[in-house]
Amino acid sequence: MDVLQVVEILVFPGLTFFVWLAFVFDWLDRKTAARMQGRVGPLVAGPHGILQPVADFFKLTTKEEIVPEYSDKLVFEWGPPLFFAAPAVGTIFIPVISLSAIISNPYDLLFILFVLAFSTLMAAMLGYASAGRYSTIAIGRLVVQYTGFEVPLIISIVTPAILAKSLSIEGIVGAQSGYWFVFIAPISFGVFIIAALAELEKAPFDIPSAKTEIVAGWMTEFSGEALAYIKLTKNLSYVFLSALGASLFLGGSNGPILTHIPILQDLLFSSYFLVKLFAVGFLIFAIRTALARIRIEQATRVFWTILTPLSLLQLSIVIALR
Amino acid sequence: MSDKEDPQPEGRKEASAGLIQYSPENLVPFGPVHPALKEPEYFKLILEGEKIIEVIPRIGYVHRGIERAAQERTWIKNIYLFERICGICSFAHSLAYVQAVEGILQFEVPRRARYIRVLVAELERIHSHMLWLGLVGYWTGFDTLFMWIWKDREHVLDLVEAITGNRIHKSYSTISGVRRDLPENIADPVKKEMAYIQQRAKYYKDLVSSEETLISRTKGVGRIDADLAKKLCPVGPLLRCTGIARDVRIEDPYAAYDELIPEIKTSTEGDIASLLALRIDEVNESCRLVLEAIEKIPSGPVKLTAPRSVPKGESMFHVEAPRGELFYYVRSPGGIAPERVKIRTPTMANILTATAMLKGHTLADVPVVLTGMDPCFGCMDRVSVFEVDKQKEWSVLGEELRQYGIKYYKERRAG
Amino acid sequence: MSKETGSSRKEIGGAMGEMFRIAMERPITKQYPFGPPEFAERFRGKLDVDPVKCTGCGVCEVVCPATVIRMVSTGKRKVGTREIETKRPIFDLYTCISCGQCVDDCRFGALELTHEFELATVDKNSLIMDKALKSVR
Repeated sequence: MDVLQVVEILVFPGLTFFVWLAFVFDWLDRKTAARMQGRVGPLVAGPHGILQPVADFFKLTTKEEIVPEYSDKLVFEWGPPLFFAAPAVGTIFIPVISLSAIISNPYDLLFILFVLAFSTLMAAMLGYASAGRYSTIAIGRLVVQYTGFEVPLIISIVTPAILAKSLSIEGIVGAQSGYWFVFIAPISFGVFIIAALAELEKAPFDIPSAKTEIVAGWMTEFSGEALAYIKLTKNLSYVFLSALGASLFLGGSNGPILTHIPILQDLLFSSYFLVKLFAVGFLIFAIRTALARIRIEQATRVFWTILTPLSLLQLSIVIALR
Repeated sequence: MSDKEDPQPEGRKEASAGLIQYSPENLVPFGPVHPALKEPEYFKLILEGEKIIEVIPRIGYVHRGIERAAQERTWIKNIYLFERICGICSFAHSLAYVQAVEGILQFEVPRRARYIRVLVAELERIHSHMLWLGLVGYWTGFDTLFMWIWKDREHVLDLVEAITGNRIHKSYSTISGVRRDLPENIADPVKKEMAYIQQRAKYYKDLVSSEETLISRTKGVGRIDADLAKKLCPVGPLLRCTGIARDVRIEDPYAAYDELIPEIKTSTEGDIASLLALRIDEVNESCRLVLEAIEKIPSGPVKLTAPRSVPKGESMFHVEAPRGELFYYVRSPGGIAPERVKIRTPTMANILTATAMLKGHTLADVPVVLTGMDPCFGCMDRVSVFEVDKQKEWSVLGEELRQYGIKYYKERRAG
Repeated sequence: MSKETGSSRKEIGGAMGEMFRIAMERPITKQYPFGPPEFAERFRGKLDVDPVKCTGCGVCEVVCPATVIRMVSTGKRKVGTREIETKRPIFDLYTCISCGQCVDDCRFGALELTHEFELATVDKNSLIMDKALKSVR
């Protein structure tokens, strides 16, 4: 591993770049939702309030951290960094500035699935460690919801892999030179977006963090720096899942090659990637703005009786077409 | 019981403990401070998983002793005091009070003043209903609906400000009429905004009856039937949504409701979805009444000169507040201040129904069902202790309360 | 994923169209600290007294529901053979609820409600208005 690769992992297009994107996504999410609701949204910090998420983050880090008496101190204090690590590691496998990712191996889709599962597991552990009444209920809901959306999510992620005959994201992105997989597997893309809403705890699946029912869900007992990192992680997951959707179904950084000058080519690829990323992100926050929260048993019913059969249907169509 | 420090009479504690056995792990506190509640109130939810077995309301968190304070103030000062019982239905409170006092005085209120009272009361009903409709969006996680309806509510509030001088605490009623005439050229903005509200109400009715995520949260949730409603005696929309057409405005017309006749809207399902539809219908109906009032308003004075002191006598008055029947009892000793004012607010009548509606539902339904009655805990918390074992209601006098407090803290210090 | 059940329309995401329409509109939020505040002509704000018109009759003290007004003695005045105490009001505006009852009952038109409403302060004594008192001395 040379110095350049370390810079790539930590700065661009790795961690720092994605954390920056997380802040931008948070701002975009709040701003578009506000405009769709007839409000103005963040306004004061920076031009059009673009620095508001950054300000919120640093404000939270300076606040007092309260550790509940009956909490599991080890998990409560060390959980948030681990929770942050999950999507942060996942982003390394996504090609941004060229058709190849920073780190790539032939099986990194499996690792992505592990990352997605790990992030839910960490959320559950954090909730249980804080030992609050609301957290406990929220974790019950989170786990039930997870058993629901896990299967359709995996099936919908596997579909492009079968189409590309590759288990690496790099391979899948490279295979979409001619056409995007969303045209062959539109149902999978839809299922992926809906499962992503559930993974991100956004409406209509914000059941584990429903604020009018269980205050802040599994995050209720967290405060200060830990809360700042948890919120940042949720936004990073948001970017990560949007990037995954853009890479698997919309071709990611792949697009018509207009130039062969190295720097310009990098810019071209990253702009392809960013446009698709924001398109997927916009789709997610448009859906979450337009819907009401449903109940946990209704969510489970949606996942098991509608999404799982649909994704299986798409999978069999894809296998038959191949 | 988890709350040993609860300052309740022993009889009540035993009686409520006898109602249900539960372990502390099953108790989920809902309030006193909770994102779903606008005002502090504590509900003990006994859960089994997500299912609600029992709801124990514990009222009194925003008790301010207003009825006692009223005895120290003059008749005019009390108007502004009673307005502050509740912000949302402030005009209904002052209206009920001044009409009760007018009853003792046997005043004939000028016809124009009665029309203006209807106008403002209906504007208040529109904004109160829209507040609740928006909050249903909030409670079900549909923040967009919440923001939209509150955005449209601003139009009504601006009208109220133009007419009365304030958005919420209108300070507009006075004994013998209303304090100021309508501003000039108010008819055009009223017509414009009412047309806008009617158009939006049509859209929202369409939306709440077609958006499936919202339907899944409201259809069949918190259902009460007419028989249960007759037993528990709710008032207002909560009663009307079970199909029982009761409305004080029709049954005992006050102000100008004998000339501007509202149509009672009912729905039959008795669940939250039908409450939504019913309240939107009532917003529409109120818009129609406002337009009718502004068309037919007669000219003339808006108030008479009221005397500072009121002769001996007593009077009762009830009005249809946005949340239901609001009841005032006023007794005058013959002087400048009332001897006793008793208020029965709609939330007090509805709270038992709301807790009965909750049983058997899941925790996810609590915010939307509990607040389906449009609770106003500020209204509800009067000094009134209900003893379950003795089956009688008694009000606590100041001295009694003080003695009870001394006794309670002595006992606590001792053991 | 919309399906037809019976006569009424059922759909998911029915609010989408309206959502984009409203996103194009001007937001309802008033740019208050950055723009001028908007209020109606009748808006009831801070109370103001005209010291010249005030005669110190004390009716406002009697009617005020929030005990804002205190009458203080400013000296003695000779009317014919009798000496009468002259009084002037002091307004403790920190308890004022802006109801306007004193304005209604002032026969001399000395009181009015202005449109000023930014009354938040760290020192409540700064809201004590003794204009009427000073004009006498």
